[in-house]
Amino acid sequence: MKPVDLARKLRRDAAFEPAALDRGKAVLMAAIRREAEPKRRPTIVPQVPYQDIRAALSFLERAFGFREIPTARFVSADGELLHATVEFGNSLIGVGGQGHHGAISPMSGGVESQFISVQVDDVDAHYQRAVAAGARIADELRDHSWGERTYWALDLEGHRWRFGQPIVEVPQSGRRRRPSEH
Amino acid sequence: MSTPSDTEVIGRSLDQPEAFGLIYDRHAATVLRFLGRRVGAEVAEGLVGELFRIAFERRKTFDASRASALPWLYGIGSNLLLKHRRGEARRLRASARMVAAGEAADRRASAAALDARLLFPRVADAIEALPDGEREALLLFAWEDLSYQSVAEALELPIGTVRSRLNRARAQLRELLEPGGEKRVRS
Repeated sequence: MKPVDLARKLRRDAAFEPAALDRGKAVLMAAIRREAEPKRRPTIVPQVPYQDIRAALSFLERAFGFREIPTARFVSADGELLHATVEFGNSLIGVGGQGHHGAISPMSGGVESQFISVQVDDVDAHYQRAVAAGARIADELRDHSWGERTYWALDLEGHRWRFGQPIVEVPQSGRRRRPSEH
Repeated sequence: MSTPSDTEVIGRSLDQPEAFGLIYDRHAATVLRFLGRRVGAEVAEGLVGELFRIAFERRKTFDASRASALPWLYGIGSNLLLKHRRGEARRLRASARMVAAGEAADRRASAAALDARLLFPRVADAIEALPDGEREALLLFAWEDLSYQSVAEALELPIGTVRSRLNRARAQLRELLEPGGEKRVRS
């Protein structure tokens, strides 16, 4: 007998109730309905200026998982990308150029005057992703006494981002981070 | 009009979420059988909706170069099953006892029957003792009849890694079949 056939011998099908698939579908359809409901847009939308909007969009997706809303692009008559919007969780961030509104990228100004704080489901995984995409880590991933685990990163033009996740206490089995979806 | 591929359906579901229901209709029965083999009917019935809910919420990350969504769904299922290791181990041991008893009945009083009673519980233990990644690759390959390519897609691994994991898993099981291994089985 081949080794894999040994394992195959232990395969045993389960016997299901006829309605088993219906219940699963109900769970899925409920999730679909939740998403299809009109979402309330966030009241405050930070606008972040970049020298190179396209490079910024690519970086923000690779490093931080921010996804552009394709339908929200503003493009000039000659094809220049003027402004885009990315979403993450239930929040939006505007990604724009520098110019008439007066805001500038730290790459031009040499200083960041603010940072943006973002809550994530799995800050360790988020950190790995950001590092792999070349984000500069301004403050290492660590636990804080107030019950949060965070790291700080600088994006490709030097904007400062803070990513955090609450730490929850699990009785007897020690400290655990709040589990992400699975 | 031809039937839309899984990739087309998932693409459409980005704007029309209800389109994702078709992915369920196509693959839920296969996925439910997969979960059932691993953790039994009751747990599997609870997991199948959860699995598709997660798939739905992650559909933006589905790799559109793939022809079928099934390996991707298997991969999400494999992750979910990690939380049910104890039930899985129980089912595997029960299956081993049933196979051993079946073999014993087939070849009454033969040496082979005696071997089977000893061998299959050891096979179950050997599968249980594999590292998660190797056990998953082995069971997707041996029980679900996935190709190396599909196992690689499910576990999001290079195909070479799947090959080496399966080789390590095979080596563990082969030991139980070899003369030296049999002695260990009998001991």
